[in-house]
Amino acid sequence: MSARTALGRGKPSPLLREQRVGGWVFLSPWVIGFLAFTILPILASLVFSFTDFRLTEPESVSFVGLDNYRKLFVDPLVKVSLGVTLRFALLALPIGIVLPVALAALLDSKWLVGKPFFRTLFYMPYVVPVVSAIFIWQGVLNAQSGWLNRLLRLVGVPGPNWLDDVNWIYPALVIIGLWGIGNAFLITLASMQAVPTAFYEAARVDGASAWARFRHITLPMISPVIFYNLVLAVIGLMRYFEVPFILSNGTGRPGDSTMFFNIHFYKTSFVFFDMGYGSALAWLLFVITMVFTGLLFYSARYWVFYAAGEVR
Amino acid sequence: MTAALAVLAGAALAQPVTITWFVGLGAGAQPEQQAAQDAIVERFNAEHDDIRLEIVYVTNEVSVTTLSTLIATGEAPDIVGPVGGAGSAAFAGNFLDLTPLIESTGYDLSQFPEAAVENQRTDEGLIGIPFASFPAFLYYRPALFDEAGLEYPPAEIGAPYVLDGQEVPWDIDTLTEVAKRLTVDANGYDATEPEFDPTQTVQWGFVNQWAGAGAARQNVTLFGPGLLVDEAGNAQMPDNWREGWRWYYDAIWTHHFMPSADEDGSDLLAAGNPFESGNVAMAQSHLWYTCCLSGTEWDAAALPAYDGEVTARLHADTFRIMRQTDNPEEAFEVLTYLTGPASMDLLAVYGGMPTRPGDQAAFFAALDEKYSQGVNWDVARAHVAFADVPSHETPMPNHNRANDRLDQFKSLLDSQPGLDVDAEIDRLIADLQVLFDEAR
Amino acid sequence: MAVARGAPAYPTIGGSYANTAPHYRRGLRRMGLYGTVTLFASLVLTAFLMHFAYMLVTSFKDRDQIVASATGPILPVDPLTVEVGGRQVPVYRVPIDGEVRELALVRPGRRESVFVDPEDPAGAEVVWEGAWRTLKPVYVWAPRTGNFAAVWNGIAFPRLLFNTAFIAFTGMVGTLVSCVMVAYAFARFPLPFKGAMFMVLIATIILPKQVLLVPTYAFFDAIGWTGTWLPLIVPHFFANAFNVFLLRQYFMQLPRELDEAAMIDGAGPARVLTSVVIPQSYPVIIAVALFHIVFAWNDYFEPLLYTLGKPSLHPISVGIQQYNFIYSQQPHLIQATALLGMVVPVLLFFFSQRFFMRGIVITGVEK
Repeated sequence: MSARTALGRGKPSPLLREQRVGGWVFLSPWVIGFLAFTILPILASLVFSFTDFRLTEPESVSFVGLDNYRKLFVDPLVKVSLGVTLRFALLALPIGIVLPVALAALLDSKWLVGKPFFRTLFYMPYVVPVVSAIFIWQGVLNAQSGWLNRLLRLVGVPGPNWLDDVNWIYPALVIIGLWGIGNAFLITLASMQAVPTAFYEAARVDGASAWARFRHITLPMISPVIFYNLVLAVIGLMRYFEVPFILSNGTGRPGDSTMFFNIHFYKTSFVFFDMGYGSALAWLLFVITMVFTGLLFYSARYWVFYAAGEVR
Repeated sequence: MTAALAVLAGAALAQPVTITWFVGLGAGAQPEQQAAQDAIVERFNAEHDDIRLEIVYVTNEVSVTTLSTLIATGEAPDIVGPVGGAGSAAFAGNFLDLTPLIESTGYDLSQFPEAAVENQRTDEGLIGIPFASFPAFLYYRPALFDEAGLEYPPAEIGAPYVLDGQEVPWDIDTLTEVAKRLTVDANGYDATEPEFDPTQTVQWGFVNQWAGAGAARQNVTLFGPGLLVDEAGNAQMPDNWREGWRWYYDAIWTHHFMPSADEDGSDLLAAGNPFESGNVAMAQSHLWYTCCLSGTEWDAAALPAYDGEVTARLHADTFRIMRQTDNPEEAFEVLTYLTGPASMDLLAVYGGMPTRPGDQAAFFAALDEKYSQGVNWDVARAHVAFADVPSHETPMPNHNRANDRLDQFKSLLDSQPGLDVDAEIDRLIADLQVLFDEAR
Repeated sequence: MAVARGAPAYPTIGGSYANTAPHYRRGLRRMGLYGTVTLFASLVLTAFLMHFAYMLVTSFKDRDQIVASATGPILPVDPLTVEVGGRQVPVYRVPIDGEVRELALVRPGRRESVFVDPEDPAGAEVVWEGAWRTLKPVYVWAPRTGNFAAVWNGIAFPRLLFNTAFIAFTGMVGTLVSCVMVAYAFARFPLPFKGAMFMVLIATIILPKQVLLVPTYAFFDAIGWTGTWLPLIVPHFFANAFNVFLLRQYFMQLPRELDEAAMIDGAGPARVLTSVVIPQSYPVIIAVALFHIVFAWNDYFEPLLYTLGKPSLHPISVGIQQYNFIYSQQPHLIQATALLGMVVPVLLFFFSQRFFMRGIVITGVEK
C-alpha cells in the first residue's frame, strides 16, 4: 500500500510527501541527538587517528598523515587480536544465537508451571554488576577451590584449569557470557508473544506437531529479533572488553588467548597513552565490523521474514 | 569608577583559589581512609581563606584511565598523591619541578635525609618532597612456625638461623628449605616429603605479597639491585636477576612453596590477599601492607641474603604537583601542608613511615595500638639502610610499554608450568630491545 | 495461511483413544507434561544459578569464612572454639582409642598434636598422633547477617539508591519516548535514503565507548555538564541505536492491516502509533525499559567520571567500587551490596511479567 510503488518514479504524490514529513518528525529525536552528541566525538576520533595525539601531552599533538594506518599492517598484535576474536566467535556466536531462542521457547511453554518465577530467575544474573560478578566467576571457575571443579571432582572428573589453560579459557568465557543471556532471552520472548495465536490454532487444526509449529511458525515470525541478536552479537564480539580484561588484568593470558581487539585498543590508548595509533585501531575495528554487519543485512533478505511485508 | 574597579578587583582577589587533590594512583581511596583525609581537607580549608582544597577519590583500577582523560581534556588536577615510583613512572613528564618554588619560599629540605631527597629527583627535576618511606621486610606467622617445629626467622639483619639445631646463614637457600617445610597439603605432608600432593596444598611457605601488575621487577630484588637497561640504552638481564627469575619459577612449579596465579586467586588465599588469609607462612612486602593486614598473629623479621648481601626494596610515596596546574604557588602551599602539619595523620592513614627521623617514634607507637602483639618494628626500620640502589622502580625507556611487557612475562611464569625460563628471559630481552629502540 | 507453508499432514491426536476414557488419559498425560517440562527447566536453572548460589552464600560470610570454605563447607559456619589459657582454641573431631571425641586443638604439630577436653580445659592434655589437617572441625552455624546492615550504612545506601533510581528512570522515560518514535519512523514511513540512514544508526554503536571517551568528556566539559547527572540522562532522550534497532525489528513483525484499518478510520500517524502499534508492543517496550534500567543501574565508568569528587551524586555502581579497592578487596561486602542493588530491577522484572502473558497482546488478525 505504498504510494511510491503505485506511482513509480517521478514527482512524489502529496500523500507521499505527507508521509515523508511525518517520517522526519518521528525521526527527529535521533537526528538531533546524532548531530549534537554523537557525530562530533566520532569525527574527533577519526581526526585523532591522523595525528600522534598522546593523552598526557595534549598540547604537543601534530598531524602525521597515514602513519598510524601504515602501522596497522606491521603491528603483530593486530593479527593476534583479530585471530583471538575470530576463534572466540566460532564458539560463542552459535551458542549466543541458539540458546536465547531455546530458553525463550522453554520458558514460554504452556507446560511450565510458575513461569514468572522461572523467567525472573533466568533473567536475574543479567542484573548482577560486573564488579560483583568477577569475584563470583573466580570463585566458581578457580581450578583449586572453585565450585565447578569441586562439583566435577565429586563425580570423579578432574576439572581443567579454566582460567589459565589455553584450551579451556574460551569455554570459560562462554560460561561467563551465558550469565548475560537474560536480555537476549527476554526480547526473544517478547517477540514470541507477538506471533498471532490464530496461526498456531490453524496449524494445530491442520495437525502440525509442536516441533513443526515451532519450525514453521515461531522461527520465521521471530526471525527479525533473531537477526537483531545476531547483529548485536557480532558487534559485541568486536567490542568485547570488560570480562577478559579484568580476568587477565589486560595481559592477554593465558598466552595471548584473551588479547581481544578492544583490549589492544584500550591498552594502547589508556595505558600507553598513544591515542593517535589507538584511534587508527578503533577505525580498523569499525571497518571490519561494518563489513560483517553489511553482509548480515544483505543476507537478511533471504531468511528474515517481516510480517509487515517490507523486504530489507 | 576606579573605586568600583578596585572593589571588583579586590573581590576577584578575595576569591579563594581552588586546588584539586586527586587520590587513587596509590593508596588512599579506601572507604576507611577517606574519612580521615576528608577531615584533613576540612581542617585545611578552615585554616586558609585564600585556598580552597577539594579532594577527589578514584579507585585504583580506573585511576590511570581517569587521570589521563582529565589531562587530555585540560582538566588535570593540581595535586596527585600519595603516589609512589611506579605511578609516577607511568605519568613521567607530567610533574612540576619544585626547585623554583622551594627556593622562592625558602623551604627547608635539610629536615629530611639527603638520600630521601635525591630519591625524588628525576630528569624533570625535584618532583616531590619526601613524605613516606615503606621499606620491605619479612612478614611471618609464628604459629605456623610453631606447628612445623621451626625456629622463627632472625630478628636482626644478617643474623644466622638455627635449622635442625645447627647454625646456618639466613640466605636464599635457607629460606627455600624453610619455606618448603612450611608448605603443607591437606593430608599434612610438607613439600620436602615424597607424599606431598601439590594439587592439594593448603598452606604455602612464602609469597611476594602484591608484587604483581606493574611491579614485576619487585620479585627479584632479593637477589640484589639491577637495571634492565645498560649505559648504552640497550636491554639486558643482569645475571643476579636471571638467577632470581629461575628461583622464582622453581619456587612455584618445582618446589611448590609459592602459589601459582590460579592458587593466588582462589578463596583459599583470600582471592589475592595471600598473607592475610592466614595460609602463608612468610611474605616479603612493604610497610604499607599494614594498611590491609589485620590481626595479631604475625611479626616482622629480616630478609634473607643473597651472595652475602641483603637487599630490601624501598618505596617512597609522596604528593606531586601536576605541571598543568594553573596555581603552582597555592598548590605548593597545600603540598607543604600535607607533608608538614598534616603528615602524621596522613601517614597513619597510609601506614607509611615518616621520612623525618624525628617523627618515626610517634608513628610506630600509633601502629602498636593497632597491632597489640608488639611487632618488632626495629627490624622493619633497619631495612631502610639496605635499600636497592638503583631502585627497581627506575623508569625505563618507553616505560609504559616496557613495563607492560614485563607484566606479561611475570604473568606467564605465574600461570604456565613446563616453561624454559631462560628462553623466556631471552624473548623478553629481545622484545624490550625493540621497545627501547622505538623510544630513541 | 501466510506462514504455514508446506506443513505436512499428521494423524490427529486422540482419535484412536476415543473409546478409552479420553479425559482421564488426557489429564494424566497433561500432568506428565507439566511435570517433565518443569523438572527439566528446574535442572537447567540449577546449573545456571550455581554462580548465584555462590554469590548468595558469600554475602553472608566474612573474610575468614570465605577462606575457610575454599576447602571446607560452603555454608557460612564458624569453627567451634573454646577458651583455653586465655585464647580461643578450635575444636576438632578426633578419632582416638577407637571412638571419635570432640577435642580442642591446643598445640598443632606435624606428626603429633596436643588436645584438651573442651569440657575440662584445665585438665589433662591428650597427645594424638597423626596429621591434624585431616581432621574435621566442629562447626557452628554463623551467617554474618550484619553484612547487609554494614553496607547499608557504610556507603549510605539509601542515598545511592535514590540517585541510581533517578538516573535510571528519567533515562528510561527519555529512551522509551524517543526510541519508539524513531523506530516507528524507520518501520512505517517511506523516508528517502532510509536504508543508508539505518546503516548510519547501526554504525554509531560499533565504536566502543572507550574510543569516544576522551572527545565525549571534552565536549561535556566544554558545555559545563561535568559534575552533574546531565551527561548520563540527556543523551538518552535522543534515541540510541540498540533500542531503535530492536523496536524497528519488532514493529516490522506487526502486520500493517491494523494500521491501515485505523488510517481508513481517519487516524493520523501519531494516533496509529499510540492506539495500534504500541498496544501490540507491550512486551518489547517493557523489554526496552528493563534493558535501559539495568544498563543505567550497573553502568559505572561514565557515572564515575562525570560525578568525580561529588559523593552525593554517586549511583550504587560507583559506591560498590569502594569495596573493590585492589589492596583490600572485601568480596563479601561486594556481594551484599550487589544483592541489595539488584532488588529493585529484579522486582520490576517480576511484576512486569504480566505483560508477557499471551492474551494481553492484541493479536489475531483475521484473514
